[in-house]
Amino acid sequence: MALTALVSNIQGYSIHDGPGIRTVVFLKGCPLRCRWCANPENLSDRVRVGFLSNLCKHCGRCAKSCPRGAILPDADRRIDREKCDECAKCVEACFYDALVRYGEEKTAEEVFEQVRRDKIFYDSSGGGVTVSGGEPLTHADFVAELFALCRGEGIHTCAETCGCVPRSAFERVLELTDAFYFDLKLMDSEKHREYTGQGNGQILSNARFLADSGANILFRQPLISGVNSPEENVKATAAFIRSLGREDLALQLIPYHRMGTSKYAALDIPYRLEDMKPMAAEEVEAVRALYESFGVSCTVSK
Amino acid sequence: MYEIDKSLLEKIDALELSERNVAWRKAMKEAPWRVYVDRERLTMASWHETEGEDLELRTAKMLKKVMDNVPIKIHPFDEIVGRPTTGVIGCQTAINVCGDYIHDIWNDDGVIGVTLDASAILNKEELEVLREAARLFEPNCMPKRTYDAWHALVGDWATQAEEAKLRDPSLRNGITGQSTSALDWPNILPAGLKEYIRRCEQHIEDYIASGGTDVNKVYFWQAAIITLQATIDHSRRYAALAREMAAGESDPAEKARLGKIAETCDHVPENPPRTFHEALQFMEMCSLAKMFENPMQNNSHWARADQYLYGYFKNDLKNGVPLEQIASDLADMIGRWGTQTFVSDDMNKETHQINFGINNVMVGGLGQDHTDMTNELSYLILHVVAKLKLSSPTVGLRWNNQTPDWIMRKAIRTNLETRGGIPLFQSDEVMIRKYMDWGIPYEEACEWRGLGCVYPCLPNRAEHYGAEGVAAYNLAGVLHLTLHNGLDINGVRTGIETGDPRSFASFDELYEAFFQQEKALVHKGLWLGAVARDVCHQYIRTPLLSILGIEASMDLGQDLTKADPDHSMFGVSDRAIIDVADSFVAIKKLVYEDKVLTMAELMDALDSNFAGERGEEVRQLCLRQPKYGNDIEEADEMVRRVSDRSAEIIYAFDNAPFRNMIISREGLAWHYFGGLGAGALPDGRPALEPLNDGSLSPMRGADKNGPTAVLRSAMKSGYSSVCCAAVLNQKFNSSLLGSPESIDKLIAYTNAYMKAGGSHIQYNILDTEQLKDAKAHPENYADLIVRIGGFSAYFVQLSKGIQDDVIYRSEFEL
Repeated sequence: MALTALVSNIQGYSIHDGPGIRTVVFLKGCPLRCRWCANPENLSDRVRVGFLSNLCKHCGRCAKSCPRGAILPDADRRIDREKCDECAKCVEACFYDALVRYGEEKTAEEVFEQVRRDKIFYDSSGGGVTVSGGEPLTHADFVAELFALCRGEGIHTCAETCGCVPRSAFERVLELTDAFYFDLKLMDSEKHREYTGQGNGQILSNARFLADSGANILFRQPLISGVNSPEENVKATAAFIRSLGREDLALQLIPYHRMGTSKYAALDIPYRLEDMKPMAAEEVEAVRALYESFGVSCTVSK
Repeated sequence: MYEIDKSLLEKIDALELSERNVAWRKAMKEAPWRVYVDRERLTMASWHETEGEDLELRTAKMLKKVMDNVPIKIHPFDEIVGRPTTGVIGCQTAINVCGDYIHDIWNDDGVIGVTLDASAILNKEELEVLREAARLFEPNCMPKRTYDAWHALVGDWATQAEEAKLRDPSLRNGITGQSTSALDWPNILPAGLKEYIRRCEQHIEDYIASGGTDVNKVYFWQAAIITLQATIDHSRRYAALAREMAAGESDPAEKARLGKIAETCDHVPENPPRTFHEALQFMEMCSLAKMFENPMQNNSHWARADQYLYGYFKNDLKNGVPLEQIASDLADMIGRWGTQTFVSDDMNKETHQINFGINNVMVGGLGQDHTDMTNELSYLILHVVAKLKLSSPTVGLRWNNQTPDWIMRKAIRTNLETRGGIPLFQSDEVMIRKYMDWGIPYEEACEWRGLGCVYPCLPNRAEHYGAEGVAAYNLAGVLHLTLHNGLDINGVRTGIETGDPRSFASFDELYEAFFQQEKALVHKGLWLGAVARDVCHQYIRTPLLSILGIEASMDLGQDLTKADPDHSMFGVSDRAIIDVADSFVAIKKLVYEDKVLTMAELMDALDSNFAGERGEEVRQLCLRQPKYGNDIEEADEMVRRVSDRSAEIIYAFDNAPFRNMIISREGLAWHYFGGLGAGALPDGRPALEPLNDGSLSPMRGADKNGPTAVLRSAMKSGYSSVCCAAVLNQKFNSSLLGSPESIDKLIAYTNAYMKAGGSHIQYNILDTEQLKDAKAHPENYADLIVRIGGFSAYFVQLSKGIQDDVIYRSEFEL
């Protein structure tokens, strides 16, 4: 039985997730519950059905298709989550893509078959494949298999990780990964737990392990106003990065945005940062400059 | 290859529009649209005066009459002069060419539709001038006489097929009479028109001395001399006007401006230009003459301006002419023809949507020595076009393996600034290879340029593309015929009887029936073209366009309206291939493989235009079948099959004694027109709605696997091996193209596609919300340009249907 993973999306022409033109493979399941998460459909490690109300034309086909009577007549909330077992029959029935299924069981071979198709674009741009999620390294064996196949065709490999996985997961993919995009969300472990559900001990330890192994790493920080933007956290993050003792380690800031909020509504998950405002460009720049002043090379993601 | 002065590129990047550029642009945007009747008044007068003379000479004298007498004006922001009318925007009519083609003149309200949505107003007296012209010219005009000849051959079929939108253009569009190619700038400029007159005189002398008896040749050279002199004299009228204005002027700066105009217009186009400024003034007078000869030749078509103007450009810089002055002249002239409107025939309004002259300018591309010829002037052209933000000119970047990154970066940044797919990218290598496949030597093939939109043409060859009423065949209309046993959208039997599709036992039967229909349509269309070719020459001539447009005209003593086997190219276009292929896949799967529907059920849904609950259900089934543009083998393979087979059918027709047809699949705004020729289609498109834009773009909203999947599908289409000019439009969101890295990635993306054999790509950089807002509040978006299948247009000037179409196209996140 071939190893499989739940893939929620394979996105071509991704240009902000590593060098060159990339294909990003989103794998489901994440150990963290960051309040600002923009991909809530990937939190759960199971198939999820979502409802996009703006596309609904109220034809009623979903209700007819549901074996469990889990379809509500509401305009905004269509799925009775108590009754729904995510069988996705309603997704099949929907003509208008208003009901969507997050998660398809795929083998690494199947994913590779998709990824390799854009080889000419990787070659012309220095791009490749990026695994993301969710936390892709919760599927370390799968990622290792996929990356081994990519390596065989000379396709650059990159993993976006929150770092909150056992050391063994990193050991499994280390040799096959050309770049790690590694999140350092918050340096205060208690605050980290408050905002993400977990402390940061394992994360920092993994970061140090990767740095010591000579891996190619870009640290990233989702920049959340007042949460990890204050000087105290900036200073601590910079100190941590410098403590790793490698001149090449840089940080990229990803300013908070609200693009993911419609997905929360689709999944009937409460959004817990309702009042959070995206930072102004000048504020982001100030944080970036602060990092530089602490001796860490820092850029802002577009 | 040129040695590039990188510091010059930096200076170019810092240039802004000059004050006069800005003043002109402002005046242009504020100017009302007007139709002028001056030209038609003069064509009639001349026609009466020359009654009984030879047609070639009558045509020449008509042009002289017009250019000697048409009102002229020098605007306060002009440093280079010459416009078709005294307005900043204005259009002359072409009734002597097209006959009674402006139907609105017979309404008493004086409202003349200039596009589908815009109009100009004429007063009673002006209206009467155009009516009189229509009465005078209609009986013996080229379209009328040709339609008569067609009628004699095929009865009502020719007009019925036009009414069913199965073929276009109409003869009334006036480009019939061949050739809309660029003037032979690289040869005309260094010679000057005086030298051309001398050569014509020499030919007459030699021909008579040699005992030649074909008096038509003598007439041609005589006619050419009249038109060349008329062009020189027209320029002198501007010189005189400038002097007169200068005399009454007290402001020294104004006096100097007018003095320079006078001096320049006395010198060119009679003599070769000495500067970049004079070269542009020279070109403007020649372009004007071409327009006055036939107002449907309403473009300046600069072609490879970065090559033949490069010497003047570099020389000026060496002589200390300020770069700002050169850029200002260039900005003024490169966009000027885009402000000249024209009244087109009804069909042209539907096929093109636009109504202004197109200046097609190419930058870069391979040269005689097989190296890329991109230079600093190519860069300056892109720069001023980005600053102008006008929808004309059409700029094409000739992409090849040597195209430098610095010009690609400038090109993508220009795309971003114009937001309108300017420039578009065309593969030099595909084009040159195609021409060489057709027996054209490299030296000639490498000089190819775009014509209007993306149709490629060669210098000094008469283009018969669109001439003789033969250009495009609507394959979506052919599918409609096939599904209705030969009945077209109007219920008329313009097709052949291939059987009721409900009785077809297999998909192959339907497939074969389709190609029988196509073959019958194309065959009849080519017959009409052959008839038109003979008839046109009897009723229309273009001595000026011939002598300046086709080098061989001089030696042959022959007008280009007489088709010449050695100097003609013939293009046709088989359009809506994607619509047909997607429809075929849907029929094949739904009816014959998965057997979800019977053919009768499908036909009922199509004929009811997907009405009712069942209709909607069938439509959704149709939409959910595999579609081209997603890198799905089944769908892409069907595109290739239809493309190959259609090309095979067309190439099988010989065009003797002329060169074989060349297939070109460009888009224009044709998908709107084409859509009017097809009922509901099995791909899920409702009746009469626009077809897919471009010839290689996926169905609207059907490309769901991202932009690279579209390109992968396009690469499998095989278009590059059977045709030139395949149009692929992609729309990107501007807000995510802001960083230098993302621009570099779009370059890498473009390079990858072109290296893999793509022949054309262009990017619309827009966001949906902006477009929706533009539709609701056009007053705030007068600047907004969109690109539709090779043309660009002001969004707010497009019909509502096309606006929706642009909005609907799936937007890729970049």
